Amino acid sequence: MANENKIGVFLCECGRRVAPLVDLKALKDLVEADPAVDFVGCESFSCLAPGLEAIRKAVSEKGLDRLVVAGCEARLMLKKFEEQLAPVGLEQGQIDIVNLRGHVAAVHDLSPEEMAAKAAKLISASVAGLRALAPSPKEPVAFQGPVMILGGGIATYAAAQELIRRNIECILAVQSDEYQDELRMLHEHYPGERHYYGRMEDVMQEVDASPLVRRITVGELKSLTGRTGNFTVTFTSLEDRLPRVYHAGAVIACLDGQMLNQGTNFGHDGKTVICHTEAEEMIWTTGVPNGKIVFWINDHEAGHPEFAYLAARTAWSIGRYMREHSPLTRVTVMYNHQMAIPLSAGERKLGRELGITWVPYDGALRPTVQAGYLTYCDPIDHTEYEMPWDKLILSPRRSVGVEVTKMAQVLGLDTKEGQFLEHHRTKVRPEMQGREEAFMAGSARYPCDLHEALRQGRRAAQKTAEIVERANQGQLFAPRMVCVVDPAKCIGCGLCKEICDCGGIEPVEGPRANSPRHVDPMVCTGGGTCAAACPEHALTLQNNSTSQREARVAALAQRLGPQEVAAFGCAWGGLAAADNAGVKNLKYDPRLYLLRVGCIGQLDPSVMARAFLEGAPGLLLIGCPPEDCHHSYGLDHTWSRVNLIKKLLGLCGLDRRRIALAHADLNHPEQYIQACHSFIELIAKLGPIERDAQTLERLQGLYDTVNNARVRWVLGATLRRPWEEVYPGDQRHALAFDKDFMDVVSEEFIRVRLAQLLRGQGRPMVLGELSQALKEDEDKLVGRLGEMVSEGQVARIHKDRVAHYLMRS
Amino acid sequence: MVSFKINGETVQARQGWTVLETARQHGVHIPTLCHHEAVEPSGACRLCVVEVVQGKWSKIVISCMYPVAEGIEILTDSPRVKNVRRWILEMLLAECPGSKEIRALAAEYGVSASRFAAHHPDEQCILCGLCVRVCKEVVGVSAISTIGRGVHKKIGSPYQGPAEACVACGSCVTVCPTGAMRARLDAVRGEPKVKLAHGAK
Repeated sequence: MANENKIGVFLCECGRRVAPLVDLKALKDLVEADPAVDFVGCESFSCLAPGLEAIRKAVSEKGLDRLVVAGCEARLMLKKFEEQLAPVGLEQGQIDIVNLRGHVAAVHDLSPEEMAAKAAKLISASVAGLRALAPSPKEPVAFQGPVMILGGGIATYAAAQELIRRNIECILAVQSDEYQDELRMLHEHYPGERHYYGRMEDVMQEVDASPLVRRITVGELKSLTGRTGNFTVTFTSLEDRLPRVYHAGAVIACLDGQMLNQGTNFGHDGKTVICHTEAEEMIWTTGVPNGKIVFWINDHEAGHPEFAYLAARTAWSIGRYMREHSPLTRVTVMYNHQMAIPLSAGERKLGRELGITWVPYDGALRPTVQAGYLTYCDPIDHTEYEMPWDKLILSPRRSVGVEVTKMAQVLGLDTKEGQFLEHHRTKVRPEMQGREEAFMAGSARYPCDLHEALRQGRRAAQKTAEIVERANQGQLFAPRMVCVVDPAKCIGCGLCKEICDCGGIEPVEGPRANSPRHVDPMVCTGGGTCAAACPEHALTLQNNSTSQREARVAALAQRLGPQEVAAFGCAWGGLAAADNAGVKNLKYDPRLYLLRVGCIGQLDPSVMARAFLEGAPGLLLIGCPPEDCHHSYGLDHTWSRVNLIKKLLGLCGLDRRRIALAHADLNHPEQYIQACHSFIELIAKLGPIERDAQTLERLQGLYDTVNNARVRWVLGATLRRPWEEVYPGDQRHALAFDKDFMDVVSEEFIRVRLAQLLRGQGRPMVLGELSQALKEDEDKLVGRLGEMVSEGQVARIHKDRVAHYLMRS
Repeated sequence: MVSFKINGETVQARQGWTVLETARQHGVHIPTLCHHEAVEPSGACRLCVVEVVQGKWSKIVISCMYPVAEGIEILTDSPRVKNVRRWILEMLLAECPGSKEIRALAAEYGVSASRFAAHHPDEQCILCGLCVRVCKEVVGVSAISTIGRGVHKKIGSPYQGPAEACVACGSCVTVCPTGAMRARLDAVRGEPKVKLAHGAK
């Protein structure tokens, strides 16, 4: 056999769970008949030490470089196989697992021979997928330059301290020359942290004195380009107009949120009714005021009860400082009775000793500020009282701040108006999670106290240091299943960047159009919906590519019987539900062939089209429950793609229901089974797709249409963006858009078929001939032909005054 | 290579393999509950007991963790082994009467009732900790753990609320030998929720 790569298949007996149910001998013969397979082995338990040793031996002896294990759940076992077989040179992506036990043996009432026949089809699909694999070389990530800490947040110092303790050089990009200035103004962002100032100053001194630290004073951040290991950071200068350019291996963003004063609706006047930051400034400038000081924790009334805890801690801290430094001051804290007093037992005791009183008020009635008094309703006796004050101190309003938002945008962080910068994008396994696009620390991420900000800074530095240390040892490699851009194909349209939620995709040349994109492999999570959306097929998910999935579905579709359907299940929804159905021995219709996919969003429309082109009578996609996608909206993107295929099936004269998107919760395998049954019954009713010349011509047209850049671009416009709250409800002109989309699709459907026909014939053809060959009205064709002529794709030649059309080569 | 006997048949094994692995390689069935190939064995359920005969004396060991040794003789279905398994199954029946998997397994060994008192008639969990090990070793998040000790021991997430670390992959449900995790998963994964302020109680 002259295969370029050597594919081995191992069948598992799995004790009583596979061997007696599946005719493994027949299965072995069926798999061996596949010319792409070089070796078939059968093990009692491939996954246990004896089985793994046999596999390693076979891999070394036969020189196998791809492996299919027909055993059980890939979700659980793939990691073990990858770890155990890495020493014999099988990297991630070169091993695939077919769930013979859970998707075949345990769930169907079939004879052992029929089980073997079903398993053989699934294995052939897996083999075809591996055969199409173009393994990426192991790429070390080079690390150049120091770590840049920017943003000017106070966490800068904690991060820098951590880095210098680990002997890593860093640049601090800050706004002022002296650290003392920053300490003086610290209360602007973190009021009520006086007890921390001594320690903070020690940290700042340690950082300032270190020879590893370079302190630069810069203006605004202009751009951040490059990728992990090699960033270029540009700032404006404070002195002249020349930009300041620095190179850094990694970037840590320390961003502090902004404290705003309350409005006049809370009586704020800046003199007697003030906020925490103003109270702190007052202590700095005029000392602790005497008289009755009342803190009102008004976060509930201001609409942010989630910040009341933080405000109460701040009030306690400032109040305590006041009492400790001025015996003539009386401190009262008013708090909404819905919240608990956030003090430890020791603090409560200290509070009693200092005479700080905590007074609850009934949250149902909003307290009212009057000159010198705060009226409130007591939650116990429901009587209105007045609290006298000389200074009323309110909670601040917290926001991200305009400058920080601008900086976050330059850093490529996702910013939403009025929202803090922290958000949880993907919910995937840690090894799939790339690092955060910029390690971020500080209260702009989410309101926090100084201690938490510094902790975040240290943590960001620790994570960065781990990467730097691994890179210095030459042990930092790009993850294998990440997106890569082919710069020769990329036109810089920016669609991928727009729908990418992991933040890995950046323009090469900074934020402007038409320059090719690139992917930071250390950030990408390998979700792959961006690759499936690329109009030019320039973006590929390496080691797990669209061509592999096409090969898989093609191999399966060619082998499917007239009533059998192909299906894709995502590892977090459909596949997991199918696995659990297997574990529970729930029986269902065997006419469904499920293929594994990491996220349903990885499925390019070309994969779906290929299934029909190669003979599948139906294709079912089983994803997660709605709004539950683990990879940023892959499920919603699939919805749009399925919609496109439905339109095209309609244009082909086929039933639109032959493709369907289903949702299955992994914990409810019966949902999965229900979805399978409905779909199988539907396809059985519709019958197989006739494989006559006309249908095949149209299916080829369908396949070409979904690979057409214009259609893909319009489809890309419909995909859910990370900032869209509701989907697909967020359609302003649903019907108008859908009609336009349909027009584009039908135009391109005609054009690709015309091109295909003219190219195939290779001779000048007249309109009548074209119309007859395509079985389409002449009126429909003539407009498209005109466009193709004016675009130079087709030549129009007149013979005997009749227009003939010829494909230009 | 080490050579020893399983049920009278001489088998070859490599140093470091366990008795269970070698037995399965040779098609000898040993029942297990807490054993899963994806994670390291932990010996929690004790159901995989076998009898090791060395010379004149013999002992009962768990096969999932017992390393092979030259010259030993393993009996996987001796009367003594069966007796121990019946005892274990009786205890499991009392601990989780709600599990039909355990009932089926017990019936295989002729155990239909338990002499121990069952306190929780609907309990399905045998506390083997397989879900916890999968969450840690395969998924890598440790969203669940065992909570409490002794009779108070149970499986759950920190503070018994939805676990922040949980990625809702369902691996715990797939490996669970009794289906107990299925009922617990919703409490662990929770609904996607607004995050509270740092340090909020």
